[in-house]
Formats: sequence, C-alpha cells, structure tokens
Amino acid sequence: MGSSMEEKVVAVIMVGGPTKGTRFRPLSLNIPKPLFPIAGQPMVHHPISACKRIPNLAQIYLVGFYEEREFAIYVSAISNELKVPVRYLREDKPHGSAGGLYHFRNLIMEDSPSHIFLLNCDVCCSFPLPEMLEAHRGYGGIGTLLVIKVSPESASQFGELVADPVTNELLHYTEKPETFVSDRINCGVYIFTPEIFTAIRDVSSQRKDTATLRRVSSFEALQPATRIPADFVRLDQDILTPLAGKKQLYTYETMDFWEQIKSPGMSVRCSGLYLSQFRLTSPQVLASGDGTRNAIVIGDVYIHPSAKVHPTAKIGPNVSISANARVGPGVRLISCIILDDVEIMENAMVTNAIIGWKSSIGRWSRVQAEGVYNSKLGVTILGDSVAVEDEVVVTSSIVLPNKTLNISVQEEIIL
Amino acid sequence: MKALILVGGFGTRLRPLTLSFPKPLVDFANKPMILHQIEALKAVGVDEVVLAINYQPEVMLNFLKDFEAKLEIKITCSQETEPMGTAGPLALARDKLVDGSGDPFFVLNSDVISEYPLKEMIEFHQSHGGEASIMVTKVDEPSKYGVVVMEESTGKVERFVEKPKLYVGNKINAGIYLLNPSVLDKIELRPTSIEKETFPKIAASQGLYAMVLPGFWMDIGQPRDYITGLRLYLDSLRKKFPAKLTTGPHIVGNVLVDESAKIGEGCLIGPDVAIGPGCVVESGVRLSRCTVMRGARIKKHACISSSIIGWHSTVGQWSRIENMTILGEDVHVSDEIYSNGGVVLPHKEIKSNILKPEIVM
Repeated sequence: MGSSMEEKVVAVIMVGGPTKGTRFRPLSLNIPKPLFPIAGQPMVHHPISACKRIPNLAQIYLVGFYEEREFAIYVSAISNELKVPVRYLREDKPHGSAGGLYHFRNLIMEDSPSHIFLLNCDVCCSFPLPEMLEAHRGYGGIGTLLVIKVSPESASQFGELVADPVTNELLHYTEKPETFVSDRINCGVYIFTPEIFTAIRDVSSQRKDTATLRRVSSFEALQPATRIPADFVRLDQDILTPLAGKKQLYTYETMDFWEQIKSPGMSVRCSGLYLSQFRLTSPQVLASGDGTRNAIVIGDVYIHPSAKVHPTAKIGPNVSISANARVGPGVRLISCIILDDVEIMENAMVTNAIIGWKSSIGRWSRVQAEGVYNSKLGVTILGDSVAVEDEVVVTSSIVLPNKTLNISVQEEIIL
Repeated sequence: MKALILVGGFGTRLRPLTLSFPKPLVDFANKPMILHQIEALKAVGVDEVVLAINYQPEVMLNFLKDFEAKLEIKITCSQETEPMGTAGPLALARDKLVDGSGDPFFVLNSDVISEYPLKEMIEFHQSHGGEASIMVTKVDEPSKYGVVVMEESTGKVERFVEKPKLYVGNKINAGIYLLNPSVLDKIELRPTSIEKETFPKIAASQGLYAMVLPGFWMDIGQPRDYITGLRLYLDSLRKKFPAKLTTGPHIVGNVLVDESAKIGEGCLIGPDVAIGPGCVVESGVRLSRCTVMRGARIKKHACISSSIIGWHSTVGQWSRIENMTILGEDVHVSDEIYSNGGVVLPHKEIKSNILKPEIVM
C-alpha cells in the first residue's frame, strides 16, 4: 500500500439536516433520513462501515444540523461496535458541504491527519475507499473524486465531469448542466489532503471581498437573494468547478454500483444493492430458509433476529425486515422494507413497498407498486402506524402516518 | 305441456365466456343457465322444450342429449336463419308447439334468472281465462325498460309503454309467458316483436293478464348482472333449500360448492360464491362474490372478489383477482399477479399485472 505508519486518516460524513431531505417524506417525519434503515442498517451505517476498511483510520465525524440527541444513541453504539471513535458535529446552520468541513477544520485536524475522506451519507455504493486512497497518493493532487459512468440521459441530474483518460486529472466540472457535457458523474465521495482547507478559505474570503465591493458600488447589493453568505461554500460549484484543469483534482472511476438515496422509493432499490453486496462480503447476515422450520427465502433477504416470520411465509428477493416485526402465515413479501413493530397478517402480500413503523397489514390485503424506484409513486410508502384492513389493496400510493385504510386506493397520496 | 326458450344469438355481452360455449351453456350457480329453466319446466309437467336458436344448434343439442335422458324431457331446436325478433321464433316453431291438445305453452327468455314460479303461473292463467299470461317484475328505474300498465286488482294488462319518460308504473316484462295456442294465430312468420305487436293486440281484446313475479328476477346477460344475479339466486336458495348451501367454519354467507370440488385449509369463502365441479381451492385462499367454474384451480393464498373464473383456468399463488375480472376458459394467471377488472379471452397466460380494467386479447 505504501502508506507510512504515522500517517493518519479521518473520515467526514455529511448527514444534512431536518430541512434537507424533504423528498424523503413521509418517512423522514419520524426519523432523521441518515438513520433510516437500508438493508437492515441505518443509511449512514454503510459509509461508516466502509470507512473501517481505511488503513490508519483515526476518527469518523458525522457533520450535519440535526439535533445532537437524534444521533447520540447511534453514535455511541457504532463507536463501540467498530472500535473507532465516531463523533457527531452539529452545524449551527447549513454551511454547504465544503463550508461544513471548513467550519470544523480545527477538530478534524486535531490528530494531524494526512488525508481526509469526505462522504455524502445518501450515496449508495461499494465505497472503494482504500483503493481511492492509493490512487490519490499516486496522483499527488489535493483531492480525488469517485466518479462513475452513467447513461447520457440521466447524467444531467448530477455533477457532470470530464477527466483526462490517461492521467485521470479532473479537466472540467459542471453541476447539473442543461446540456450534455459528459456521461461521467461525481459520486459524492472524495479524498482530500489538508490543503483543501486553504482552497475553501480562499473562496470564502473572495466572497467577502466581492460582498464588500458590491455593497459600496452596485445596485445588485440591494437584492439579498443573490448574496450567498461568506461561510456557505459548496463543494461542487465553488471548489470543483474552479479547480478543474489545474492539476489539483483527480478522479477514480468505480465500475461497481452507485445510486443516490433521495426518495423513499430509491431506498428499496439501494436496500437490494446493499443486500447483494452482503452476499459477497458478509453472507452470514442474510436469512435463509426452505419452508420447513423457517420461511422460504428467495434471494437476498435480511431478517432482524427479533422479528417473527411464520414458516409458511415466502420472503424475497430484496426484503429487509426490522426489529420486532411479525409476519404471519402464508404471507408473501417481495422487494420491500418492513420497519420495526409492523404486523403483517395471514395471506397478505407486499411488493415494492415500505411499511412504516407499527403499521399493520390485514389478512389477504395487498400493498404494491410497479417498482419504478425513481418515480414519485413507483413504490408504495406507508408512514408510521398505518392500518390496512383485511382484503384492502393499496397500489402505488403514499399514506401519511396514523391513517386507517378500509377501502382500496390506487395512485393516491393520503394525508 | 310444451315450452319454447328464446336463446337467440352470439351472447356477445357475456364474452369472453361465450367465446367458449353458447350462452345457455355458460354455467350459473354450478350448472348451465338453460338447465335452470329446463328443470323448472320439467317440474311443472313440461315434456318437450323447443330452443329457438340461431347459432351453433349442434353444440347445444349434443350437450343437452345427456339431460334429455336424465330429466326425461324432449329437447329440440328451432333454428332461425335470420333474426326473427322476439315473436317471430314463435311462428317459426309453430308446428312443434301445437299438438292439438289445446294446452297453453310456456315461453321463456334464456337470459333471465328467477325462482320460476311456473306452477303459480299455470294457476293464474286458469283463473283469469284469458289468452295469454305474462310475468312482470317490479324495478327501481322503469324508464330503462318496457313498462306494463295493468289493472292492479285483476292483473289485466292495459298497454305497454316502451322506456317511458313520465312514470306510468314500475312493473316490467320479466320475459316469462304462458300462451294459449290461439296466440300463434296472431303472429305472422316474419321478424316481429312480441312486446310491440303481439301483446298489444291481445291486450286490446282483453285477453292479456300479468302476474307479479314473486321473488327475485335478473337479466344475467352481462358480467356485472351475472354476479348480482348469483347473489340473488343464492339468497333465494337460502330461503327455499338451505341444505343445498355449504356450511362450515370457513364459510361466510351463502356459498354453493359442488360436491366434487376440493377446498384446502385456512380458506375463507363467501359471501355469494359458487365453486363448480372438479375445482381445487388450495389452502389460505379468500373468495368472495365470485364464480369459479368447472375444473378451475385457485392456488394457495390467492384472493378473488367480484369476478368470474372461467372453466379450467388457474389462478397463481398470492394472486389478487378483483373488480369484475372475467377470465375466459383455460386462462392461467401466474403467481403474485394483480388483476383489477381484466377481461381475458380464452387460452391466455397472464404474467404481468393488470392495474386498470382492460381487455386482454
């Protein structure tokens, strides 16, 4: 690996805050989005456990603007489990991803790390972090981005970039362009040397100067909407775009899976991706069964040890069942996330859906959708404590918490 | 006594079921529709039934051969080569209906299901001494039908009003008649309407009487009415012959199960379900307001409501069939499929969901 023993590495995971992730409603009404279970583990657990593979990892910081208490239990549990200190740093307000990093620069640099990983929490990928670190060392720049090739049609939803095919240098970067630039996109996973703080400081002080200049000279100064606070620094527009082509930033292309978990529907897809990764990395966490003593299990399925699943049920592929859920006789589950304390009664079927905490699904009921993960009603979502009565069919719908459904619904949002 | 059953044409309204069998042979409550009528006629002493038919008479006669022997009743066909309306077929079958005894004969419409109170009708006919008796039934929306205006106390019919805009009465022609042979003298051999031409003539000569049909009445010529008709029919069985209905811990409401059908553990069946001969209903199945025809198989944990499952079809595990889904003969629905109002032609396999009512060719 060529890493010297003294060099320490830290990882920073940006978790956002309650005013972010509104697209994750109604599930984010109950729980911070980073703690929503994907493949049976909180979303943030996947990047955290990937960090564990980084050599000489000294510390993991979660940076966001949720209340501290929302992360307290999780942070202490995961620190114990991984034997790596994990600390939640609360921003007083959103600073942007570069600004957030900069805001906590003294803490982050406490152990004088040689490298800093920066990961977005709502990214779902195999996080090839040790490989990135090694590539980054070889490039000799101040930062390396994880990139992936996507279809030209979908590229414009992300940061599009052009890299030198030989040196992998980042030549051009543009966030969500209107016209096609490149089919390579930014995965939201970075590694930096501490020089990144200088780059962020420069943007911040430049902005202060411009603001002062405007204040004395320009009519634009009267329009507060165009003014960005000096300490709000976006990584993409403010750092990556200007530094592209200056031999400072490089790319590392992953050939593995990559998705962004913006909507609840995508969490079902990402749950499946992580479950299939478990098949390779930790098959012991996956359930199995042939219908004799345990339920029939098809494909990759996670069942929490405290969940009770009747042997006549048939589960999978891509199902994750959380703590204390009860799955009755003759139940069929396909491509779904069943959250804590859910009860699914006999002969019910759930497919392409998320069943919220403490919800109940009646006998011969059916909760379903077409499984178009990135469309608004492509996955049926039941919020917390929703009751679906016997024989009711819920198709391609979103149901907010504490509702009882006694008639079938299709393509509806139920407030 | 003789009887004429007006069978008519292709039964297009009851497709896709009538793509496999002529309409009178489509099962209703576990037996071909026409057998309900033939058995009722046999019960009041009819010894010969003439079927007025213009489509596939061979199929009908072949099928009915067995029943001729079993019920000891003669069944013949009178084939129309062109549509003869509602009265023309009577003229066409004249020679078969007139045997010189002078006895009146029945005329039944094959689309109609009721308790067939034919004995009462004979008594009614004898009591008024007129030339013709018709059954009438009370409906909620008379403006959709031909209304029979009659003298309430005697039943003497004054006139017929087709689809009245203003309320003239709520009794409509139920499609069950008892006619003296002399009525045939009033019908020419041409396409003609019994309601518009023949009955008004008889009414004018004070010879037409109407009897209000006791019990239920339903025209089951289309799927929605077929399912409603089954409910009414089973309600009536509950009152008259409750022993014919199935009972048990997994049965809710009125359910008719053929003795050769098999039902698994943990099912919940009913209300208003008919399960035909040789059907297999596996464990954990839920059936309500539906008909499962001869030879069909419903696999584990499936749920079917307000639908018709055609002959020898199969419904896969955890499938959900509802909202006027009609599966034609030999249709196979894969496991875990959802059908909301799918109308499926015979011999198809359904491998993807039908989310909104549509026809699968």
